[in-house]
Amino acid sequence: TSKDLKSETTTPGRKSQSVVTGSARKVKDNAADWHNLILKWDRLNDEGSTIANNIVNLGLNKDSHEKMQVMMESRDTSSTSVPENAIRNSSELEEMCDNLLSVVDKMTHIVSKMQKLVSSEKGIIDLETFQYGTGGRQSPLFQTWPTSQFADVSSKLYEAYNQELTLKRDILQELAHTTNPDLSMVYLSCWLYQPYVDDSAKLLLESLLLETGHRPV
Amino acid sequence: MSKSSLFSLNQVLKKCFQNLENNQKVWNSALGECTSLVGSLGNLVDQLRALEKVKIVNTPLHTFPDLQERLNFKLLQALDIVLVKLADKLCSLQQVRDAVSNQVSGAFQLYEHNIDTLDLATCTQRSAIAPSIADMLEWLKDAERYYRQQFLRRKNVLQALRPEDLYLLEAVPKRWESLESPSGEERLSETLFTVSFFMESQ
Repeated sequence: TSKDLKSETTTPGRKSQSVVTGSARKVKDNAADWHNLILKWDRLNDEGSTIANNIVNLGLNKDSHEKMQVMMESRDTSSTSVPENAIRNSSELEEMCDNLLSVVDKMTHIVSKMQKLVSSEKGIIDLETFQYGTGGRQSPLFQTWPTSQFADVSSKLYEAYNQELTLKRDILQELAHTTNPDLSMVYLSCWLYQPYVDDSAKLLLESLLLETGHRPV
Repeated sequence: MSKSSLFSLNQVLKKCFQNLENNQKVWNSALGECTSLVGSLGNLVDQLRALEKVKIVNTPLHTFPDLQERLNFKLLQALDIVLVKLADKLCSLQQVRDAVSNQVSGAFQLYEHNIDTLDLATCTQRSAIAPSIADMLEWLKDAERYYRQQFLRRKNVLQALRPEDLYLLEAVPKRWESLESPSGEERLSETLFTVSFFMESQ
């Protein structure tokens, strides 16, 4: 979501333009895209976490029903372990695995869009090199960042989410047929807490939004 | 003289009970939030324990770099947030304890101040809409004691918890649950019900 430029505060070092054009426009739009993609990812993560919880609970209901209070209170903690539920359970399980696969597919789509943002940033640098030579432009596009920094940030963010996606893919494969309850719990923790999207990734996004003027300084 | 000191004492008692009623709501709300935070705490501790037991290198996830450390860090971080919120909620409980304490001691001070003019007969006299002063003072003391004990016990469970003390943390949900006092709550509610006419009277 791009803000109206006229309402932004001017800061030292920033050119007083009333319209952002060319490379700066592209970079600013990319920053907005990063924000939106990550927002979508977060929603999918929550959705996937709920499904993953249900998958594990279904698996656990086959033996013990009161152990393992998994993270989010799952609404269907039906404690029946009667054989006649087995058929219903397995088709329910299959459906949930399909749902989780669908979530992972959507996340894959998001990461491929992230990759395009990385390419876009690289393209902007190439253009700048062509226009200004290897030294790049003299004054920054926005406040202080050299153009290469945008590419750097995009790369790092992409790496983080790509790694996270790979992890989720593996979890998807393993989740339904893991019999070790501790390992199941670790899978769920990994999904929900996203070990590769750490504080530095969050900071990178915020600094990107600050630099490009999407957030007030 | 006796009539006016009786009147002011009754007014103070009325105000005490009204405040008690409000404080009961505040307490129950804060306590509910604490209990759900303790639930989150238990969940996180379970996850940390599971991670401890599982050697990631022996699992299908062994190809992921630093996964054990990274996940451990994230879980501890989440735990830390819960502990901070709990400490915050504990403050709300303390405020209720303090408010009730102050109110009740105020009522007792006024009673003691007027002790010469309020004889035994007056204090034990009850009517259709008003319980006796003696009873009401007793109930207020009971309420004050209830919140004082509840707060201290709960504070004791949550005191000095740190994310590293998994062993201590594990015991918290059960200890917290054991502090439930449905009978204490019921007595308090009954008291408020009993004095409801008195509270509304002139």
